[in-house]
Amino acid sequence: MDVFIQLVVSGIALGMIYALIAFGYQLTFATSGTLNFGQGEALMLGALVGLTLVGHMSYWLMLPLVLAFGALQGVVVERVGVRPAIKTKSEFGWIMTTISLAIIFKNVAENIWGHDDIPFPSPLPTEPLQFFGIHILPMEIMVVVGALALMLAVEIFNRKSIYGKAVVATSNDRDAAGLMGINTSMVITFSYALSSMTAAFAGVLVAPLTLTGATMGVSLGLKAFAVAIIGGLNSGLGVIVGGLILGIAETTTGYYVSTGYKDVPGLVLLLLVLSIKPAGIFGKSVIKKV
Amino acid sequence: MLQIQNLHAGYGKVEVLHDISFSVPKGQVVSLIGSNGAGKTTTMRAISGMLKPSSGCITLNGKAIAGLPSNRIAQAGLAHSPEGRRVFSTLSVTDNLLLGAFPRLTFGREKGDVQGDLARVFELFPRLKEREHQLAGTLSGGEQQMLAMGRALMLNPDVLLLDEPSMGLAPLLVKEVFRIIGELKSRGITMLLVEQFAAAALEVADYAYVLENGRISVHGPAEQLRNDPAVKAAYLGAAH
Amino acid sequence: MSLSKKIAAVLAIAVAAMLPSFWSNPYYIHLMVVIGIYAILLLGLDIVVGYVGEVSLGHAALFGVGSYAAGVLHAKLAMPFLLAVPGSIVITGLFGALLALPALRVSGPYLAMVTLAFGTIIQILINEMDFLTNGPLGLSVRKPVWFGHHISGTEYYYVVLVALIATLFVIQRILKSHLGRAFEALHDSPIASDCMGVSVYGYKVYAFVLSAAFAGLAGSLFTYSEEYISPNTYNFELTILFLLAVIMGGRKTRTGPILGAIIVVMLPNVLSDIDLFREISIGIAVLTAVYAVYAFVTRQRTAKQLALPLAATIALAVSGFMMDNITDHRLTIFGAMILFVVYYLPNGIMGFLRGIILKFRPQWIHRHTLIGEHGDTQHVWAVPDHAVTANGFLLEARNIVMQFGGLKALSEVNLQISKGTVHGLIGPNGSGKSTTMNVLTGIYKPTSGEIEFNGKLITGATPSSIAGEGIARTFQNVQLFGEMTAIENVLVGLHHTYRHSIIDVVFNTPRCKREKHAAEVRAASLLRFVGLEDLANEEARNLPYGKQRLLEIARALALNPSLLLLDEPAAGLTAPDIKELIAMIDKIRSHGITVILIEHHMDVVMSICDKVTVLDFGQKIAEGTPAEIQSNEKVIGAYLGGA
Repeated sequence: MDVFIQLVVSGIALGMIYALIAFGYQLTFATSGTLNFGQGEALMLGALVGLTLVGHMSYWLMLPLVLAFGALQGVVVERVGVRPAIKTKSEFGWIMTTISLAIIFKNVAENIWGHDDIPFPSPLPTEPLQFFGIHILPMEIMVVVGALALMLAVEIFNRKSIYGKAVVATSNDRDAAGLMGINTSMVITFSYALSSMTAAFAGVLVAPLTLTGATMGVSLGLKAFAVAIIGGLNSGLGVIVGGLILGIAETTTGYYVSTGYKDVPGLVLLLLVLSIKPAGIFGKSVIKKV
Repeated sequence: MLQIQNLHAGYGKVEVLHDISFSVPKGQVVSLIGSNGAGKTTTMRAISGMLKPSSGCITLNGKAIAGLPSNRIAQAGLAHSPEGRRVFSTLSVTDNLLLGAFPRLTFGREKGDVQGDLARVFELFPRLKEREHQLAGTLSGGEQQMLAMGRALMLNPDVLLLDEPSMGLAPLLVKEVFRIIGELKSRGITMLLVEQFAAAALEVADYAYVLENGRISVHGPAEQLRNDPAVKAAYLGAAH
Repeated sequence: MSLSKKIAAVLAIAVAAMLPSFWSNPYYIHLMVVIGIYAILLLGLDIVVGYVGEVSLGHAALFGVGSYAAGVLHAKLAMPFLLAVPGSIVITGLFGALLALPALRVSGPYLAMVTLAFGTIIQILINEMDFLTNGPLGLSVRKPVWFGHHISGTEYYYVVLVALIATLFVIQRILKSHLGRAFEALHDSPIASDCMGVSVYGYKVYAFVLSAAFAGLAGSLFTYSEEYISPNTYNFELTILFLLAVIMGGRKTRTGPILGAIIVVMLPNVLSDIDLFREISIGIAVLTAVYAVYAFVTRQRTAKQLALPLAATIALAVSGFMMDNITDHRLTIFGAMILFVVYYLPNGIMGFLRGIILKFRPQWIHRHTLIGEHGDTQHVWAVPDHAVTANGFLLEARNIVMQFGGLKALSEVNLQISKGTVHGLIGPNGSGKSTTMNVLTGIYKPTSGEIEFNGKLITGATPSSIAGEGIARTFQNVQLFGEMTAIENVLVGLHHTYRHSIIDVVFNTPRCKREKHAAEVRAASLLRFVGLEDLANEEARNLPYGKQRLLEIARALALNPSLLLLDEPAAGLTAPDIKELIAMIDKIRSHGITVILIEHHMDVVMSICDKVTVLDFGQKIAEGTPAEIQSNEKVIGAYLGGA
């Protein structure tokens, strides 16, 4: 039983990272109906840039710089990859361009930081804390707190500020938002900046727990896809629940079945959710007007 | 105030509007009438930038606005209450109204007294005041229409475009909507009105244009069109 | 296929067959074998990417499934080549179904996401299931032994060539058949496709499974070609390479995938040799510059449009000299190539060439197979006609409520449509007429209430199954298959008359020929009925608005409906056309087809309807004969807006 609780606890930290990345998918999907297939690479770049910076400054000073870098990277992806495809209304277009930008980013990262995984210095003590016989790393607590804090901050921004409301309005009805004087293409660029920033933040949060390297983003980005679909592409609560489900499913599978199979529950859950409730567990299905 | 010259517009290859010209003088209510598919809504969309006109010239207050994106046109002072209402369903009534004033709240347009205008809109539509915290998507059709009109008014616009404000409303509500349009007119708001109930529209309008297959076929003071036998037969009689 | 095309095909095959005698070097032979194998996969991938318009990021994994299926069948079950290959085709097809059935239920980027995940999982599974696959160690397989003779590399080239020709032949037949037409229709207008009984979901899955089967064929051939397979071959990079090949070669062509296969097989060779890369990149930069000057001088493009691609190609050429090795930057170059192709060559190389030919020699290009049937008056109607004598209601809608958020588009609407009548549905804009239409045809699922059609409850059924029950419709904002000809549009409506299977299609059996001919005669007759016989081979999007509406009626009649829903058929018609329309509706009724008519032209409604229902703000406010309706106070009030 203790082992199980331990697995659940580790699963929660992992799940919150997935949730955070999946949250990033939702941000862009809401405003433009597009997703960044290179979200994992945005995370990887965030972590690697953070790693370089942390050699020159403290972890806490590095954080805002990485966030700014992430936002900038998101703007590049949107301008180069997504905007032209939105103009021509080509789904094929944005899927292909975000993927090609992703492989370019990965390749560039390999050439700058090399092919090997590098450990990331932890800002918090690496000694696990003990609660009733359960081991929890301080960094795991920070992952959960940090992820929740960022999502909450975005949510408050959306509810309280007029700019945030403009973002919500754009996701509701892009044409009508334009009529209100809202520059909707700016809103979409902004949502990409925010989305990549979220991923970069997830990168520096997760890096001390795992290793940093050019390939670290691929499977994280992919799992977050599963989480976004499981929870529902339009539900904020959904990604948290979806993330937790997948995180716990993976740690338990890894322990009880085999570590080699720990990536499998993601796809199985994904196919299961799509078969039973395609809009996701918490997603609302949208009625298309004809 | 608003001038349209030689406007052509359409969707893809299909041209819907062929060479439309008309103007909306300051302080007046101008109405566009015509049967389904004549191009009324397309005209509105082309003016407010929801649709890029293929050619032609549109000026608002002397400023050329044809081809600008809709957000720039809104900043220039043109509010459009679109066909089908298009309220932001996951935002509250108050948030919807505040978004109507987005350019004023974000330095795109002179700010003025936003809170005061909000109070005035609530005064004009007491039903909205009762539901100010409710999500717009949960409102009834009539309430959503009032919200769409109120939201457009929040821009403090130089010209207000109303597209089919009576669409899908019960007769009592239709009456209410026209009472409000009359009220706005008496406050001196310049309006361009598209309406399927031609009789009611001609009642409130100063001047009217009849659209037929994407062209203006007849125009004149509303009073005159009301008594024009051809217009009467085609658009005013209900079940002829 | 025209004669000149046949000659070209025979010549191409002859050249391909002679290639090993020019390049007898085993390395070249092997490259050509791989090109052939990739081409088979890409031809299949094009069905999904080009025709159906979905993105699959899992074709490398399906290729892997095919490879390992053949490998395992050969190594563990000692199956001979000729059983292992079909076996792996079936297994890969099943994997394709497993992915497509859930992922295609919703439109959007779901298939791309699911197939991407599938790619990773397959690699893990191959690595982990070592009892079957030997895990990371890989499987060794020998080339087949036929009649005691061990097939050599060159002989295997001919095996692959035969498979490629067979693939081309089969795919060409499928895409030219009613199946291919269904794929194009669902891509062009999903809603119309569903309402013609061509289930968008069903045919998307069909297309994906077909495509997976070809990936299986390619994979199994690859196993025997390499004689050793290991998990790392089937990675994400390969998927990207496949997609690059399809879009670069040119979607929706047979030549494009083959060209694409040549490019992506040669590409790694180019990219391993820095000098060759430098030469080629300079070549590309020069070509782009020449084209840019040409396009600028002839004013086809502005300087602004040309600046970026020109700068990019020059940067590519310059970067060739900055790098000392190129393998490290391979993926960056792939990525840049995809970006370039997506933006500047969206139709691929073949599409680009086709565009040039179209400009100078338009008569060389036939976008559509011309159909020369003339049609007559006997073949307009389905045999036998519907019985006009039957009494009672064909359709009953009870207490239909349709709610969108707080908005009640329909509240407690009851409709009873008597057999053999024309039933008018009128009301001001936004009163719920079109919503009623969409509820009756299954596009909206009503919030509550039930619909009984022909004694069967159809509430909540899918649009395609409702169409199958015999309800056809037209659309207020025309929903034709724009890129198809008029007669092809009608043939989509006749999809249900094609009862033959894909096997019949491939072998062009007498049954297939018979049904095809019958459908074409029927389609031509229907066009004649609506007065479009002269425009049969014209693309639907080029027809004038009024004719498009008539074409929609012909297409809807092709479904052999017992109930026909016409949504504003008179909009955009001139006065004489409207008279003809009235006569047409009358004829439709006389053949036992019940009609529901939404119309704003009151003269149409009043002259033809047996009964009229008036809706206002989502409620039924009146019902009766046209005369009763005209004198009803409530109706007059609704139309005048109470003013």
